[in-house]
Amino acid sequence: MAHEDYKSMIPAHALSALDAEESRAMNQHLSQCAECRDELADWESTAAALALTSDPVEPSPQVRDRIMSAIRDDKSSEKVVQFPSRRNVWSSFGSLGAIAAAVLFVALIVWIVVLWQQNRALRHEIAQSAEFVKLLTTPGTKTTELAGTTHASGATARLAYDKTGHAMLMASGLPPAPQGKEYQLWYIVGSKAPMPGKSFAPDETGEGTLTDQVPPDAMDSAVFAITLEPAGGMPAPTGEIYLRSGL
Amino acid sequence: MSEGAHGKYLPTATSLRPEPAQDDDIALLKAVATRDEAALGRIYDRYRVILFGVLMRILNDRAEAEDVLQETFLQVWRRAADFDEKRGRPFTWLVTLARSRGIDRLRTLASRERVAQAGAKENPKEEISDAATDAVRSEQRGVVNKALAQLPEEQKRPLMLAYFDGLTQSEIAAHLGAPLGTVKTRMRAGMTKMRELLSGREEYFGY
Repeated sequence: MAHEDYKSMIPAHALSALDAEESRAMNQHLSQCAECRDELADWESTAAALALTSDPVEPSPQVRDRIMSAIRDDKSSEKVVQFPSRRNVWSSFGSLGAIAAAVLFVALIVWIVVLWQQNRALRHEIAQSAEFVKLLTTPGTKTTELAGTTHASGATARLAYDKTGHAMLMASGLPPAPQGKEYQLWYIVGSKAPMPGKSFAPDETGEGTLTDQVPPDAMDSAVFAITLEPAGGMPAPTGEIYLRSGL
Repeated sequence: MSEGAHGKYLPTATSLRPEPAQDDDIALLKAVATRDEAALGRIYDRYRVILFGVLMRILNDRAEAEDVLQETFLQVWRRAADFDEKRGRPFTWLVTLARSRGIDRLRTLASRERVAQAGAKENPKEEISDAATDAVRSEQRGVVNKALAQLPEEQKRPLMLAYFDGLTQSEIAAHLGAPLGTVKTRMRAGMTKMRELLSGREEYFGY
C-alpha cells in the first residue's frame, strides 16, 4: 500500500475502526512515517470530541478513594522494584563478559596475523639465504665486497654472480631509505656511463637483498656501486653513493 | 507592512478566548509524572464526569464503568510521562485512554453478542452531573452535538458505532447491511465533516 492509501485510512484508525490486518499494516507504516503520525494526532483530537456527545455522569465518591489508595500501593511497590534485581546484576556481568571475550578474540586474531607475517618474512629470508649459499657454492661464481662510503660508514654488502650473470646482493648496516626512496645498484665499466641495476629498500634493521642480472659488458671487470634514488630506480644515478666496490 | 505591524497589537482570537484550563492540565500531568498524588487527585476531580460519562455510554453498567475508570486513572498515574503536549491536548489523551480501556472491557464482556446489540444502547438513564468542577462545560458539549447533528444519519451512525461500540469497519458493514467500501467512504466523510465543523473551535471541546 502507498503512503496516500494509509493517509486516507487515518480517520478510521483514529476511531480504532480498522480491521485487524489493516490496523497492523497501519501501525507498521506509522512507525516509519512522521507525516502520518502528525496526521493521526490531528484526527485523534476530532475523534476525542465525539466523547462530548455522551451525557456527563457522576461516579460514586468511593472511586476516588479506591484510586488514591491504589496509587499509594503502586508507589510503595515501585520502591521495591527500583533496586537492581539479581537478574540485572548477572546480565551486566554477562555483557561485561561478552565485551572481554570480544577483546580477547580480536587480540588473538591480531597475534595470529603477526605470527603469520613473521613466519612468512622468515621463510622468505631463509629461502634467500639458501639461494645465496647455492650461488656461492656454484663453480665459477664470483663474489665482490662493497664497502660503505662516508654516507654509510657501517654498511657492507656482498655481491655474488655466476657465469650466466645471475646475481644476488646482500647488504647490511644501511640507513633506512627515506619515504619514496630506494637503494639502486649500478654497474660501472671504465669511463662509460653507469649501467642501472635493480633497486631495493632495506628492512628496519638496515638489511636488504636484491636479485639482478649483471649486464654482459660488466661480467669481467666492473665496479659496483649503490646510490640512493627515487623509488623504482633511475636510468642514470642522481644520488650519493652509499656502497661501492674496489675501495 | 505597517498594517502587519499594527495587527500585532490587535487582540487576537486566542487572547479573547476564556482562560484555557489546558495549560493547568499540562502542568498537572507533568506533576503526576513526578509522582505527585495531589496532582492526580486534581486531574481526577476535573475529568471524572466526562470520562465516566463516556465509560457509561460504552459499557452501560455502573460497576463495570467505575472499575474501568479506576483502571484508567491507574494508567494515567503510571504513564503520565508518556503524555506529549506537542502531540495533543490533555483532554484528547485522557479521553483516548479511557475510551480505549472501555472498549477493551466491552470486548471482553460481550465478544459474541456485541455486534447484535450494538447501537441498541443510548445514553444511559442516569442522573446527569452538573458538577462545577467538570473540565467540560455544557456549551462545549453543545458545540459538538450541534456539529454531529449536521452530519447525515448515514455518516453519523458509523462514527457512533465505532466510537462507543468499538466496532471495526467490517463489523459496522455487517451490522448495517452495507457494503464495506460504502462504510469506509461514509466514515471518512463523517470524520472530515466533523473536523471542518470543529476546526478553529478547539477551545470549546479541547479541555
